[in-house]
Amino acid sequence: MKIVIVGAYAIGTHLAKLLSRNDHDTVLIDSDVERLSNISNDYDLMTVLASPSRSKTFKEAGVGHADLFIAVTPDENMNLTSCVLAKALGAKRTVAKIDNNEYFDPKIKEYFEGIGITSLIYPEKLAAVDIANGLKMSWVRQRWDVHDGALTMLGIKLRETAEILDQPLKDLCKPESPYHIVAIKRGKETIIPRGEDVLKLKDIAYFMTTRQYIPYIRTIVGKERYADVKNVIIMGGGATAVRATALMPEYMKVKIIETDEARCEKLNELIDTDRVMVIHGDGRDLQLLHEEGIKNTQAFVALTGNAETNILACLTAKRLGVRKTVAMVENFDYVSMAESLDLGTIINKKALAASYIYQMMLDADVHNIHFLMSANADVAEFTAEPGSKVTRKKVFELGLPKGTTIGGIVRNGEGMLVSGGTQIEAGDSVVVFCHDIEMSRLEKFFR
Amino acid sequence: MVNFKIIYKVIGTLLFIEAAMMLICTGLAVYLGEDDSLAFIVSVFLTVLGGLIFKYLGRDSDNSLSRREAYLLVTLTWIIFSLFGCLPFLISGYIPDFTNAYFETISGFTTTGCSILNDVEALPHGMLFWRTMTQWIGGLGIVFFTIAIIPSLVGGNVKVFSAEATGPIRAKMHPRLGTTAKWIWSIYALLTVACAACYYLAGMGLFDCLNYAMTTTATGGFSTHNASTGYFHNPYIDYTAITFMFLSGTSFTLLYATIFKGRFRQFYHNSEFRLYLLLVAIATALIVTILIIDNDYPFFDALRVGLFQVTSFITTTGIFNDDAAQWHHITWVILSICMFIGASSGSTSGGFKCIRVVMVTNILKNEIRRILHPRAVLPVRVNDNIVPYSSQVTLLAFLAAYVGLCIFTYFCMISTGVDPTNSITIALSCAGNVGPTLGLEIGPTMSWGILPMGVKWLLSGLMLMGRLEIFTVVVLFTRAFWKEN
Repeated sequence: MKIVIVGAYAIGTHLAKLLSRNDHDTVLIDSDVERLSNISNDYDLMTVLASPSRSKTFKEAGVGHADLFIAVTPDENMNLTSCVLAKALGAKRTVAKIDNNEYFDPKIKEYFEGIGITSLIYPEKLAAVDIANGLKMSWVRQRWDVHDGALTMLGIKLRETAEILDQPLKDLCKPESPYHIVAIKRGKETIIPRGEDVLKLKDIAYFMTTRQYIPYIRTIVGKERYADVKNVIIMGGGATAVRATALMPEYMKVKIIETDEARCEKLNELIDTDRVMVIHGDGRDLQLLHEEGIKNTQAFVALTGNAETNILACLTAKRLGVRKTVAMVENFDYVSMAESLDLGTIINKKALAASYIYQMMLDADVHNIHFLMSANADVAEFTAEPGSKVTRKKVFELGLPKGTTIGGIVRNGEGMLVSGGTQIEAGDSVVVFCHDIEMSRLEKFFR
Repeated sequence: MVNFKIIYKVIGTLLFIEAAMMLICTGLAVYLGEDDSLAFIVSVFLTVLGGLIFKYLGRDSDNSLSRREAYLLVTLTWIIFSLFGCLPFLISGYIPDFTNAYFETISGFTTTGCSILNDVEALPHGMLFWRTMTQWIGGLGIVFFTIAIIPSLVGGNVKVFSAEATGPIRAKMHPRLGTTAKWIWSIYALLTVACAACYYLAGMGLFDCLNYAMTTTATGGFSTHNASTGYFHNPYIDYTAITFMFLSGTSFTLLYATIFKGRFRQFYHNSEFRLYLLLVAIATALIVTILIIDNDYPFFDALRVGLFQVTSFITTTGIFNDDAAQWHHITWVILSICMFIGASSGSTSGGFKCIRVVMVTNILKNEIRRILHPRAVLPVRVNDNIVPYSSQVTLLAFLAAYVGLCIFTYFCMISTGVDPTNSITIALSCAGNVGPTLGLEIGPTMSWGILPMGVKWLLSGLMLMGRLEIFTVVVLFTRAFWKEN
């Protein structure tokens, strides 16, 4: 597969690295020597040093034969224009990074498709969705819904209160039990559990379940006493904060602490509800946090551009008694460190954007894919085609590659959990959890 | 320095327009063969002469207007218009005293509608129609009227518009001011015609319905009878008046968006309109209750006169269908508050304007919240738009000036021996261009003829300042206006 990426910025380079590892022909275009030299020495890809706005550059880079064209420069207009150009030259699919939520309006999206922009990606919005979901269920680290919640995957940190610790899974998850543990993250390791594995204290367990059993899961992990999030303090009023507040439910009262006064005024223009209060100050200022009622706040979300600041602020908030903290960590090297500090949810826009773009690499059968950064794993939803491998045998006979497990299926809009004896039928949506494995290896099972 | 030539030239042209208006009344007077025909003919002659003199003074002027000249032009226009406008009263001898005649005319142009005449019915038709005409033209503004007819007249007409328009936010509904002016005048004309038709159907005579319609939509308040609308004792006329006063007190831009663009949602969600509606509802409810308890009115009568008086005061029209002097004093307080607040900006009404009340309320709310959250950045929102900090300061300055001016007038009048209740309501009435006063000495239905001469001049100035929203006039009295570059 030939992939052309424009813009060797954070997302572009991250994607280029991922894709070049997976044996794709990757071309990275940028007009800056330094940005390119950082990556071209270490990874197996081609770099083109030229202005991305010139059609000559595109010919040089072979955009005409590209299966996927990804424009991820910081300049939204450049991204859109280059996508239009690439499509006109013959690229099969194009993706443009944007920073305007209005472009997701169905009418505008349709128009964009008409002029050659297949998909739009707005990393801040992806991050915002994750943040808002996390706050809605504060006792959950990660939540991912399939088919509007017919199936749900929950990543939960196990504490002393959990009832299910230290028991072999074969005793815990019987075929008839209402949940399925698809993965365990223990320290730095991700385990695809077998029957003899046990859950231990401080593991993050990934449960696959259906909507009506979410309260049951909450009971068995001992998180009933977690207060629901009503008051939120957000530090840093960037685009992510704006989108996240827009997605939060009505009952949540939000305070955004921002250091730049001009940005505070701007925030008031962008956010149009009374439940949000914008405060000019520094989120690391303890006195300010006390004044603004940190004691009465259930969630602290640190979204400044500086990973260190976010991590430290979240640690402070934890110490002040905030249960749920969310930190945006853009620096990959810090992610695992932040995890080990027990910081709660970690948001990385680059990883989110990259996982989203993965979707476009696979064929159209994959509807939905989500990258779990902390577990270094993907959860993807495939549709089983008639006559495909998965429909021919029962699940335990399939011989799925190591590191993958089937979490559940959605049949006729209804979520079902899967055990070894389940027979998958054509048309089912199958949710697969895969750790450290390339998605395309799975595709052939479903075609 | 101030470029007087352009001002002379524009005023000259404007005087021709005034002469044309007078000519209509002349035609009416001559047609009816009444004794004011000659007075009108002489007035037209003098006005045209005045126009020619100004034109001559302003010959070969360059057609560009600076901000300074725009403010001077607008104020001078209103003063000079009133000066020539009082000629028919003076010459015909119906109002022999110059002070009284000037007061009556400026009360007309500023759509205040207070009168020094004890017996309006004694005036001939031409004279009555002239009074009505001054209000109708003054309703949206003399210069604004001109922009609608002759957009090319004034070079910097946007500056003139901002000097004359009312309300803190000047919304254009069309990129070109000339077109905007035409649309607004069309709506105004449409309202007037509709109002006249309704009055006619409700049983008024042709002459009366025209006069009442023009003064109702201008939210002026001059009438052709001593007892105003109360003369008719007709509920249909009362409700027609209520409807059209209310509509004329709504922002014309909003009416345009609703009628011609079909944006009904916007109409309902407009925060100024909602406050306006709320105020009318609350004030009416209170007055109706008081009237039923205190004056033993039957419910429907109480509702009719209560609603009528509230809309009349809040839209700063000042017509009446019942003698509010007989009512309980608390109703006077409620009506005074209505007078102070006024209706929407961008309408023909005066007063402080509902949108400013919305803004001031939001500022107050924020100040109180800021005590608890000293570092919070709190926006002042009006219709989802954020009011910038500088506009908030302007708004509060305007509030201070408005209140200050009212208090100043109040003290001046008390010191000349006018009844205190009358003094404060007259001050509010003139600053808000309402018309009637409430009090013990002069009732709402009575004329202001007995006021001392000095007070009349003071009130003339106050009416003008109220109409032009104070700063346009006050800036002319600053040293910087004349001295600095």
